[in-house]
Amino acid sequence: MTRRPRPLVYALLAAFVLGSAFPLYWSFIIGSVTRQRASQNPPPLLPGGHFLDNASQVFDRIDFWSALLNSILISGFSALSVVLFSTLAGYSFAKLRFRGSNAAMVFVVMTMAIPPQLALIPLLKEFSNLGLTGTHFAVALPWLVTAFGVFFMRQYLVDAIPDELIDAARVDGCSMIRTFWTVAVPAARPAMAILGLFTFMQVWTDFMWPLLVLQGSDVQTLQTALDQLKIAPGQTLTDMALLQAGTILATVPLLLLFIATGRHLVTGIMQGAVKG
Amino acid sequence: MASITFQQVRRTYPGSTRPAVDDLDLVVEDGELMVLVGPSGCGKSTTLRMLAGLEEVDAGRILIGDRDVTNLPPKDRDIAMVFQNYALYPHMTVAENMGFALKLAGMDKAERAARVAAAAEMLDLTDYLERKPKALSGGQRQRVAMGRAIVRSPQVFCMDEPLSNLDAKMRVRTRSDIARLQAELGVTTLYVTHDQVEAMTMGDRVAVMKDGVLQQVGPPLDLYDRPQNLFVASFIGSPQMNLMDGVAHGDAVDVGGHSLPAKAPEAGPVVVGVRPEDWRLSDDPDALTVTVTLVEELGSDSFVHGTCDVSGTPHTVIVRAPARGRTAKGDEVRVTTDPERVHLFDPATGARFD
Ligand SMILES: Nc1ncnc2c1ncn2[C@@H]1O[C@H](COP(=O)(O)OP(=O)(O)O)[C@@H](O)[C@H]1O
Ligand SMILES: [Mg+2]
Repeated sequence: MTRRPRPLVYALLAAFVLGSAFPLYWSFIIGSVTRQRASQNPPPLLPGGHFLDNASQVFDRIDFWSALLNSILISGFSALSVVLFSTLAGYSFAKLRFRGSNAAMVFVVMTMAIPPQLALIPLLKEFSNLGLTGTHFAVALPWLVTAFGVFFMRQYLVDAIPDELIDAARVDGCSMIRTFWTVAVPAARPAMAILGLFTFMQVWTDFMWPLLVLQGSDVQTLQTALDQLKIAPGQTLTDMALLQAGTILATVPLLLLFIATGRHLVTGIMQGAVKG
Repeated sequence: MASITFQQVRRTYPGSTRPAVDDLDLVVEDGELMVLVGPSGCGKSTTLRMLAGLEEVDAGRILIGDRDVTNLPPKDRDIAMVFQNYALYPHMTVAENMGFALKLAGMDKAERAARVAAAAEMLDLTDYLERKPKALSGGQRQRVAMGRAIVRSPQVFCMDEPLSNLDAKMRVRTRSDIARLQAELGVTTLYVTHDQVEAMTMGDRVAVMKDGVLQQVGPPLDLYDRPQNLFVASFIGSPQMNLMDGVAHGDAVDVGGHSLPAKAPEAGPVVVGVRPEDWRLSDDPDALTVTVTLVEELGSDSFVHGTCDVSGTPHTVIVRAPARGRTAKGDEVRVTTDPERVHLFDPATGARFD
């Protein structure tokens, strides 16, 4: 059964891996040289020896630990919320018969065509009108549920849950919400894990929205905190070496999360694929 | 205990012009095993799902005992259902699957465990109670699905083709197991299948359905001996009844130049039906002359397939004959039957002539 891929496939995969890993490598190069070296031409191609130096400066200049905690709280909360609501809505679209279900689904999908940048300014205005800026909650609120999440869960659940199983739960006496917990959630688990991780990563790396909504506040996420790494306090020019060192530090938790859950995720995907 | 009554029940699916079930009138007596049989797509599952409360009823009423359940949710109908694909919860053990409805009903743990254990005993599942459905064979899963229905001791069992995912041997065994269990428990049962052999062997009575319309209800042998129309005549019995066009006059029917004895109520065109086992050899020159094309030897008896020239067109005829006969391919045999063995139908409406 396990056939070895052909050399061409290997080459393509290798190129893909290198391409994906390069930005991280580049980050590390810049983060491991001095500020002066970072801005020289031609740029450095090999890591320098200043990474720990830069890293310790990052810790001195910004409140890294509290930003890390904020990022964990906001990303974690958003991931849980997106998973919960997307699974609920995706299940309804996939399995419940109700008037207007198709039209509503089309509408949800259509909202994905709107560039999020377009909504940024109106959303910010709305938030400041409501007095919601500058809080953890303000960063997380737009991430309570995503159109992509709903669409993704619907596509998964349409095939993952046999209709008979829902009927069986109804005959057994499950209420609608109990049917959801008993039948849909166990079946949805692999997709929920993927969606959760994906959302966590998206919110973790989001920069524009927290920058706008947290402006002038004590609350900062990792990305907005890193933005404060200027060449000197009060300057507007960013210190690239420090920024990249900080970026590496901010990426480590994500990498750890992927390593911890990766195996589980892959088996989840495979299970879904072969269940048929 | 309770009977089941369908009164003028109709269901038309949204987007469809033809009802999936049309003005169904059917009574299943208390404790009876009624088999609802018909070709795929004829509305059997829809009927059963309406009884279970899983499908809306557009017109008419459904009663369990004298309770009108037409608009009750499934859990308030005191029914249990066995599904074609078993529909076991994959993340629960066998015991949890069987006890789930009882748990939802608020039954205490000890009584629940006792009931599950009793049902498991009955179904030979005691050793598998802690397994997940994934780790069971098809036959075992089927029994768990039965067990889940039994533990509730409901007034009504609904079964939708519960054997169609089993291999042939397992199906024959489970068929008799279910019939025996149902008789033992005395729970009124509506059993759906497309397999007429299952219907004939299991049902106290059988209801035949076609295109959403009930064709005939009765004990298996009644359906076999006196099919009320051409559809029932051809659907019940295997190999199926020989059906030929003919013209009745007096006490004989002319079938394309051959003659069969029959008691036709009036002269005119008819469809003649004769079951394979009702033919007998004859010397009469007017009898049906059949050219043998194939002999199916079953050991216990044999089926002789042949063609008969009916007004110039060859017509397939199947004759049951004793096993190990001397008839061979290419032979010509002459067969006739007795007037009381002949079924006559109206070619225009398909209804039986009496
Ligand atoms: N959910 C549904 N929506 C629309 N049409 C359906 C639905 N379920 C069944 N039908 C149609 O109703 C008819 C009867 O179906 P069904 O009761 O499942 O037949 P059977 O169980 O006898 O094979 C079929 O023509 C089928 O296509
Ligand atoms: Mg069916």
